[in-house]
Amino acid sequence: MTRFIIHRLAWGIPVLWLVATTTFILMHIVPGGPFDQEKLLPPEIRANIDAKYHLDKPLLSQYVFYLQNLVHGDLGPSYKYIGRDVTDIIKETFPVSLQLGLSAVLISVLIGVGAGIAAASRARSWVDHTGMFLATAGISIPSFVLGTLLIMIFSFKLRLFPAALWEGWRYGILPAITLALLPAAYIARLTRSSMLEVLHQDFIRTARAKGFGEGYVLFNHALKNSVTPVISFLGPLTATLVTGSFVVEFIFSIPGMGRYFITAVTNRDYPLIMGVTLVYALVIVLANIGVDMMYSWIDPRMRVKKRA
Amino acid sequence: MGIMRSNRRMKIGGGFILLICTAALAAPWLAPFPFDLQDTHAILQGPSSEHWMGTDRLGRDLLSRLLYGARMSLSVGIFTAAFAVLFGTVYGAVSGYIGGKTDNLLMRFVDLVYSLPDLLLIILITVTIGRGVLGILLALSLVSWVTVARIIRGEVLKLREFSYVEAARAVGASHRRILFLHILPNTLGVLIVTLTFRIPAAILAESTLSFIGLGIAPPFASWGSMANEGWTAMKFYPHLILFPSLFLFLTIVAFNVLGDGLRDILDPGRRFA
Amino acid sequence: MKWITFGAIILAVGFLSSFPFSGMDASGDKRTFRMTLSNEPPTLDWNLATDSVSFTVLINLMEGLTEYDDALRPRPAVARSWDVSPDGKIYHFHIRKDARWSDGKPVTASDFEYSWKRLLDPKTAAEYAYFLYDVEGAEDYNTGKVTRSDSVGVRALDDHTLEVRLNKAVVFFPSITTFMVTFPMRRDVVERYETSWTEPGNIVTNGPFVLESWHHEYKLTLRPNRYYAGGQPAVKAVALYIVNQPSTALTLYETGDLEMANLPPEAMASYRGNAEYTTGPLLRGYYYGFNVQKPPFTDPRIRRAFSMAIDRKEFPAILNRGELPASYWIPPGMPYHNSAIGLPFDPAGARRLLAEAGYPGGRGFPTVTAAFNTGPENSLIAENLQAQWKRNLDVKILLDNQEWKVYLKRLQTDPPPLFRLGWGADYPDPDNFMNLFTSTSGNNRTRWKNEQYDELIHSAATMRDPVARQSAYDEAQRILLERDVAIMPLFVATQNWVIKPYVGGLHINALELLYLKRIKLNRP
Repeated sequence: MTRFIIHRLAWGIPVLWLVATTTFILMHIVPGGPFDQEKLLPPEIRANIDAKYHLDKPLLSQYVFYLQNLVHGDLGPSYKYIGRDVTDIIKETFPVSLQLGLSAVLISVLIGVGAGIAAASRARSWVDHTGMFLATAGISIPSFVLGTLLIMIFSFKLRLFPAALWEGWRYGILPAITLALLPAAYIARLTRSSMLEVLHQDFIRTARAKGFGEGYVLFNHALKNSVTPVISFLGPLTATLVTGSFVVEFIFSIPGMGRYFITAVTNRDYPLIMGVTLVYALVIVLANIGVDMMYSWIDPRMRVKKRA
Repeated sequence: MGIMRSNRRMKIGGGFILLICTAALAAPWLAPFPFDLQDTHAILQGPSSEHWMGTDRLGRDLLSRLLYGARMSLSVGIFTAAFAVLFGTVYGAVSGYIGGKTDNLLMRFVDLVYSLPDLLLIILITVTIGRGVLGILLALSLVSWVTVARIIRGEVLKLREFSYVEAARAVGASHRRILFLHILPNTLGVLIVTLTFRIPAAILAESTLSFIGLGIAPPFASWGSMANEGWTAMKFYPHLILFPSLFLFLTIVAFNVLGDGLRDILDPGRRFA
Repeated sequence: MKWITFGAIILAVGFLSSFPFSGMDASGDKRTFRMTLSNEPPTLDWNLATDSVSFTVLINLMEGLTEYDDALRPRPAVARSWDVSPDGKIYHFHIRKDARWSDGKPVTASDFEYSWKRLLDPKTAAEYAYFLYDVEGAEDYNTGKVTRSDSVGVRALDDHTLEVRLNKAVVFFPSITTFMVTFPMRRDVVERYETSWTEPGNIVTNGPFVLESWHHEYKLTLRPNRYYAGGQPAVKAVALYIVNQPSTALTLYETGDLEMANLPPEAMASYRGNAEYTTGPLLRGYYYGFNVQKPPFTDPRIRRAFSMAIDRKEFPAILNRGELPASYWIPPGMPYHNSAIGLPFDPAGARRLLAEAGYPGGRGFPTVTAAFNTGPENSLIAENLQAQWKRNLDVKILLDNQEWKVYLKRLQTDPPPLFRLGWGADYPDPDNFMNLFTSTSGNNRTRWKNEQYDELIHSAATMRDPVARQSAYDEAQRILLERDVAIMPLFVATQNWVIKPYVGGLHINALELLYLKRIKLNRP
């Protein structure tokens, strides 16, 4: 198992390196770079900036510096927030986005799988049709529409939840729901079709013939086998949630990494953009590893295959 | 064929799409006002006989902006999807057909792009290229083709094993001929379904981009940028966000429903090799 | 069974980690005053700060020699009294013996001397350095003509007496000493912590409140300074949330999470008759400036054309808050205001000028970008200007926006050809509005210099004859706005607040001074 994890991590490193290099190249190719304006500063200040950011050296050695710093976990200083390091900014904001994202994963999996099972087990009934109609609607509502609606209804009209900010656990509920809806709908559809397929297989018929209760059959036999596509969706799900957070953090004024990313883009704050991108890439690599681990746990056959 | 005609989903979805596309194309004639005409005497009016969907904060007619916004959103959606399908198909087909190390390499690259969040990549690309319709189209396309590539590659891998391919080789057909004349036509079903699902994804991505302020620049409108202008006033002037959201929602649903319907018909299980 | 335990663990981890860390949950405490700031303060170093967001925080953290009373007259603060020489050029400020910093140390005259000299030190590169140019030797020191600060006319005669020698008998000098750039400063703190001396824990202040925490881009919290000599404030905590969207702030106010909020344009219609609504004039102008060194705006005819092509009456219609369309610069309420000054709305004339300058019908006009700091109202005005210039001049403008503190930096280093800015009065005298555009002003982003203008402004500051002063300012305004057109004023802003009825002691004033120490929360 450990060897497997190490193997997957090792694969992740070239991915991260590629992401880092690509963003570095992108940022330095762009015209109107961050320091065009600094040329107009008095010479001593310019000299300071050049030395600090190694701008006076050739591109290659800047790149080497950059990679060296990366390995030490130093993502460099922010170009626009003078005096603050990207690493500090990320340390402050990443936990917020992480909490938001994890809550959303939880909610979407619970609702999605639950709805999918309900729909599949009562295929072609009104439960199924309504459920799937809602699911199609769910993947069609933009998150900003949903978020605004939720604020209007639950915050403004009903006074049940706060409208914005991040001051306690209650503040996370509306944002997490907003974030979770699209994945939940998607998961519901996925679970339903996968489960339907499984339910038609012979071993289910056998189980039923043996006299096991429907619930037992459903949960012990059908579910375990139909959950694979959902698990494989968890990887891209992390990606969706991570970027979905941009909109949610924007609407709810949540001090997360996504909101910083957007402002960093309008600010052309390149180290911050690069830093955030790398963190996202890291999260996805780890999520994919987690997914693979879950695969092998759930399906013993996979465990054997992985040996190769 | 009877399935197709009686398939309600396709009719409903397809019908709405046709409607909205026609409206978008005909926008210059249909729109009662120019989309950028500001009338400060008619600010934030609700729906009326003069302005069917009301006006926005600068007195611009909402209906006209929605129609022009439709052009933006739909063209971005369709062109992105078309490009993605075109490029992704060729890439995936070639990769799947050649197989071996090349396939591995090509797919590693796909995995890399696939592993990063869509919106993140889109935003990064627009930072480099700049805002504007072309930039957005390019960014969206560069991100969407990977899903198509994966799907097509999977199909081609399967189809490659069929006996008629071997037969064609035996007769001396070139690889190119086999790929384009024999294999690809059989992926048509999956292709169409994928295309139909790529479009709403692109429309959603563009509207999200515009919503957070990184999309189309003023004075042009897209449904997403209109939602951005409207969401803060939802309490007082709900029509500002209601109508763009409705249009977005219905269009996306229509494409998804159409896609579902198409997939039922073109399902691999019913195809004949 | 393993499956279920795995699932249970995931659930537990997920749920536990889904509880956000709560900072101080300020909403629970009834003696906390909560409001929002529209942007992150670009800096809390009061020598370097230039904007109203930083200012709002700083007048509660710090106190200067003088402060304003409710009628906007200066009155003693850290200085309990002051003497002026008969010629009006020498001041002796007597500092209270009980004035203390938040670490207990007494406030001394040397703290003021240090701060003022640091403001003027060219190495500090403070944009507001010109604010103290009336002090003897200040300009020479700041412009590098003199390298040592000894010749600057501010000196601590002893721990409690500050001597200030002026170049000319500036009548409103005690108003100058209310302003943040003149607040005292602790040399030992600044030298010890350097660029991070304003972080909570490092920063030492002498005002009614101290900076307890600063969660960047999100929230600042203040609590009372127990060493403050002016009496402990009635509010026990202040939470300043950074919320960019005014509509979100309003929603938070309505759900009871804030004590006061600014009203955005779309809320005006519903709130007009509301008892919690209060409005007032502001000595604040909103303008678009030109970088006169960047083509095509190097040609004053083009600048004039642009200004004449704007129908300023559209702005109050859009913003809906009683804004006053203004082509003049000195606002009403400020002495020497003159509404007859400024270019009229004359699209035909504007087009003629543009043609004269070589762009008939707008043909061939280069694509120009107008920049503004991110904000919903700024976007509206910018889009409207874009449409007006297109409609009246047939000229295409692109729009670009950035976060406030980044935008400010950009204006400092390389102002765009067309940029949006505002200006709120630092003291209620027209000198403050007019010296903004002198060639020595660090807040003049237009790169425009005019000797005649400078001359007029310098002499007007000491004029005692109101007629002479009026005509000096009139002529200066004409040069600024009609002849050289360095800026295009658009309107004078108003303030529109909703304030919870249980908030007492809050007097809004035209200088946007929010003295939180005077507030009482009368909650049951």
